[in-house]
Amino acid sequence: MPRADAAVTGLGLVTPAGTGVERNWETVCAPKPAAALDPALTASPVRISCRVPDFDPAAQLGARRAHHLDRFVQLGLVAAREALADAGLDPAAWDGTRVGVVLGCGDGGTTTLEREHRVLLEEGARWVSPLLIPMHPLSMLAGQVAMEFGALGPNLVVATACASGTSAVGAAKDLLALDRCDIVLTGAGESTLTPLIISGFAQMKALSRRHHDPAGASRPFDADRDGFVAGEGAGVLVLERPDHARARGARVRARVVGYGASADAHHMTAPHPEGRGIEAALRAALEDAGASPADVAHVNAHGTSTPLNDLAEAKALRRVLPGSPLVTSTKGVTGHLLGAAGAAEAVYTVLAVERGLVPPTANLERLDRGVELDIPTVPARRRIGLALTESLGFGGQNAVLAVAGA
Amino acid sequence: MYEKLKEILAGKLMVPPDLITMEATPEDIELDSLAVVELSLVLDKELGIELSDDVLAEASTVGDIVRLMEERGATL
Repeated sequence: MPRADAAVTGLGLVTPAGTGVERNWETVCAPKPAAALDPALTASPVRISCRVPDFDPAAQLGARRAHHLDRFVQLGLVAAREALADAGLDPAAWDGTRVGVVLGCGDGGTTTLEREHRVLLEEGARWVSPLLIPMHPLSMLAGQVAMEFGALGPNLVVATACASGTSAVGAAKDLLALDRCDIVLTGAGESTLTPLIISGFAQMKALSRRHHDPAGASRPFDADRDGFVAGEGAGVLVLERPDHARARGARVRARVVGYGASADAHHMTAPHPEGRGIEAALRAALEDAGASPADVAHVNAHGTSTPLNDLAEAKALRRVLPGSPLVTSTKGVTGHLLGAAGAAEAVYTVLAVERGLVPPTANLERLDRGVELDIPTVPARRRIGLALTESLGFGGQNAVLAVAGA
Repeated sequence: MYEKLKEILAGKLMVPPDLITMEATPEDIELDSLAVVELSLVLDKELGIELSDDVLAEASTVGDIVRLMEERGATL
């Protein structure tokens, strides 16, 4: 594989921190936690979630188009539109055969799936919607984005559970390095805040039960953390071959300079207790970037706010990066966007590098004793030459991106 | 019957109401093969009118669908 950077020329976000990149940045830096009691989850063991506020799919996409799309695709399309506009790309003018779409997703259209399953059980098979299959598969995310913009190149959905967004950006970078595309729309979309999925996460004790204080429920690295808060959202980045970006005079916001991936091969859901898997991915990303640990000034951690993840991750970060980079988990604000988490966090990492500002970790009041990391609780100014963003997925998948300034 | 069909196309299949006229073709209202199956299901569920997607697919205008509904509705 030839070593090659990917230029980041466009960004788009639709998350619990708001619709639009700038609104996200304000909310994340405030930091203003999005977690709240969820009226749709009143019958679930856990009733806290992070939903995208004020998202009106019919207004954004047209009622007819929105009717054919599960929410994870609706969110992804809106984020993709913002990213393309930000990149100054006109799909009417590009060579679509050189434009790829590589998006991550963990669960696909569970909203549609659960609705139609209810129809099956309560009314019978003959009333199941013919739109079920066109709406629920993960592939539809990348497929619909391609249809919207005429992107005719490689089209993939990457599913590595909660690492999906990060894995997707890494795969996109590789496609560009292999010269299979000039442009890749990458990132992820996820929306699975349904009674079944939330009950599943709750039953395995992965979710915070801080019902008396929902805004404080997602508290990465805090001693009192008791689980993650499930969220939904989408993040999209436009990646380009640097020569392509240069030739069209695009504004390069940052560069993805490294990607590392690994598997724990340890347990279905628990990370390796010493973080061996994520350590390997961290080292691989640094090697891919041609960088040394001392170069890393900032890490956007996975930091889910579960007792196991944050401790294992902190140990790995401490071993690989003894130089005390500023670590943050933006999940204190956004909750855990599951398959889309890594995509949103890649966007936040680009913004941190671009602006020399590390967003704080919300709700961190008392650092857990086992966490020996430098984690700011207010926005911290720092010149960031190199930043990492990392994700771990159920199944043991680990993915890390290295992001450098333009 | 036209008003009932219009209500279903706009309210259930989310076709923009201003596109729906008696003369509109399936293409005009973006009625692809999946949407025809969906329409068949909704007509049955909402109005008790059984028209298979194969029959509906032969309609070349909204007006044709209205006539099919009237024929089938009359036999109920």
